Amino acid sequence: MSEAALRVEDFSFRYRDTKRYAVRHLSFEVPQGGFLCVVGPNGSGKSTLCNALVGLIPHHFTGKLHGTVSVFGSDVSKKTIADLSTDIGFVFQNPFNQLSYTANTVAEELAYGLCNRGVPRDEMVVRVEAIAHTLRLDGLLERNPLELSGGQVQRVALGSTLILNPKILVLDECTTQLDPLGSEEIFDIVRALNEDGMTVVMVDHDMERVARCADTVLALRDGNQVALGTPREVFGMAGLEEQGVDIPDFVRVTRALSASGLADGDIELTEGPTIERVREAMGR
Amino acid sequence: MKIEVKNLVHEYIPGQRALDGVNLTIEGTEPLAIIGQNGAGKTTLVKHFDAILRPTSGTVVINGRDLSELTCAQWAAQVGYVFQNPDNQLFLETVRKEFEFGPRQVGMDEARIEKRLKHVAELVGLADKLDVNPADLSPAEKKFCAIGSVVMMDCDVVIFDEPTCGQDLEGNARLERIIAALRDAGKLCITISHDVKFVTRCFPRAVVMCQGKVLVQGPVEEVFSQVDLLKQSFVVPPPICRVALGAGMSQAVFSVDDLVERVRKERNNCE
Repeated sequence: MSEAALRVEDFSFRYRDTKRYAVRHLSFEVPQGGFLCVVGPNGSGKSTLCNALVGLIPHHFTGKLHGTVSVFGSDVSKKTIADLSTDIGFVFQNPFNQLSYTANTVAEELAYGLCNRGVPRDEMVVRVEAIAHTLRLDGLLERNPLELSGGQVQRVALGSTLILNPKILVLDECTTQLDPLGSEEIFDIVRALNEDGMTVVMVDHDMERVARCADTVLALRDGNQVALGTPREVFGMAGLEEQGVDIPDFVRVTRALSASGLADGDIELTEGPTIERVREAMGR
Repeated sequence: MKIEVKNLVHEYIPGQRALDGVNLTIEGTEPLAIIGQNGAGKTTLVKHFDAILRPTSGTVVINGRDLSELTCAQWAAQVGYVFQNPDNQLFLETVRKEFEFGPRQVGMDEARIEKRLKHVAELVGLADKLDVNPADLSPAEKKFCAIGSVVMMDCDVVIFDEPTCGQDLEGNARLERIIAALRDAGKLCITISHDVKFVTRCFPRAVVMCQGKVLVQGPVEEVFSQVDLLKQSFVVPPPICRVALGAGMSQAVFSVDDLVERVRKERNNCE
C-alpha cells in the first residue's frame, strides 16, 4: 500500500496564551487521492486542524502541541513552510487573508507563488492564463484584486493555490462568499482535480455536498473527534445532531420514512435514491 | 407598514443597470426573504430602503413618504440595515459601545437604551461579551454583534444582508429566534440570503431577483413550486423540496414532518 498523504497521530494543540485545547487527540489518515470532509459546529477545531495540516501550526501559530502531523511520511514540525508548500496548498476561509498585498493585478496575484519559485516568465504567462480560464477569471486579469467582489476574490485565492500544482489541497470553507451556483462551479473543479489524483481535505457546512463528495467524513465537536468513517457510517450514527453536527436532509427524510413505517431500509445520502424511496413509500 | 417600489432603476456606472425597473410592494410585517444569484441586484435594492443609495430613476415610498424627503441619517431611525460584512459596520472598542451607539444617534433616552441592551444582548447571545472588543469576537459572533447593534435601534424595518454566511446549526437557530422576535414585536424583517433551507424555515414569503428585476414573488410554497421560472435565476429549491417535487408532489414542502405527512396521504389515496 502506498504511503498516506496525511497522517495525524494523537494530535492535540493549545494556542499560546489560551487555556483550552483547540483540538484534542485527533487520529486519522488520508490516503493519496482521498477526499476527506471535516464537519462540525463553529469552534469545534476545524480551522485549527487545517492550520496543523499545512504547517502553520507550529511554524506560524505557536503553543502547546502533542502528537504528530505528517505529510507523505515527514513530520510537518520538522519541515519549513516553504518546503511544505510544494506538496500542500491551502485556501483560507477568508480570501483576503490569502492575498499577497504586493500584486497590482489579478495576473500578478496568480503568478506570485510561481515568481517566488523562479519559474521562467514564458511558462508563468501560460500557467496564469490556464488557471484564469479554469476559474473564469479571464476578464479580470488586469483588475486590482482589492476591487473585486468577495466571490471573485475567493476564486483568485483558489487560483493562486492551484497554480502551484499541489499534491494535497486543503480548503477551509472556501466558498462562503459565493452564491450556490458559484460554489458548485468551484466544487466541480475540486472534484475533477481529485479524480485526477489530487488529495483533498475540505471543511464545509453544506452537508448534502459533503455526502456527495467525500469518501471519508471527520466530525469534530469542542476539539474532539466524534466520528470518522464513510459518509454512510458517519451520517448514519445516532445522536450526531444532538452534538451540534448537521446531517444531510436526505438522511433526515429517509430516516423519518423508516421510523414512521412508510419505508424500509438504510438511510440515503443523495437526492436520486431519496426520491426513489419517497416514490415507493407513496405507492407509485 | 408599506414599501412601494415603482420602476426603480439604479446605475452605479452610467449605462449599466444594477436595477432595471423594479416594481414591488411590500405590505404588512410578515418576514420577507430576498433571494437570487450574486449580482442580481438584491443588496442594491435594499440599500434604497434607507437611502444609502438614491434611485437613478423611479421611486421608493415608505409608509406614504418618498425616499427623497429624508436624509439617510433620518431614515436610519426607521429602517435598520445590517451589512453583509460586519467589519464594514463595527468600529468601537466594546460590544456595549456598539450597542449603545445607534440608539444614542437617534435620541433614544438612556434608561430605554439600558433596558433594550439587556434584552438584545440576550437575544443575540452576547450577554457575557459586552466588554469584549468586537475585533476579538469570532466571525459568527461579529455578525451577531452587528445584528444586535441595529436591533438596538428599535426600527420599524430591519434588513439583514446574508446573515447565515459562516453560521452553524446553533447560529442559524439563533437567527431564527431573532427573526421571530422581530416579527412578534411587529417589525418588518427583510433578509437577503442564498441559504434556501434557512429561507424556507424562517420566511413565509419571498422575492426572487434576477438581472436587476423581480422574477417572482409570493408565499414560499408558491415561489419554490415554480421550478422552471426559478431555473432562470439559478435558484435551486432546498433538498426536501426537490425530493417532494421530484417524487411527483404538486406543491412544495420544506420540512421532514410535512413531507412524511404528504407521503402518508398519497399512500392512503392509492390504497
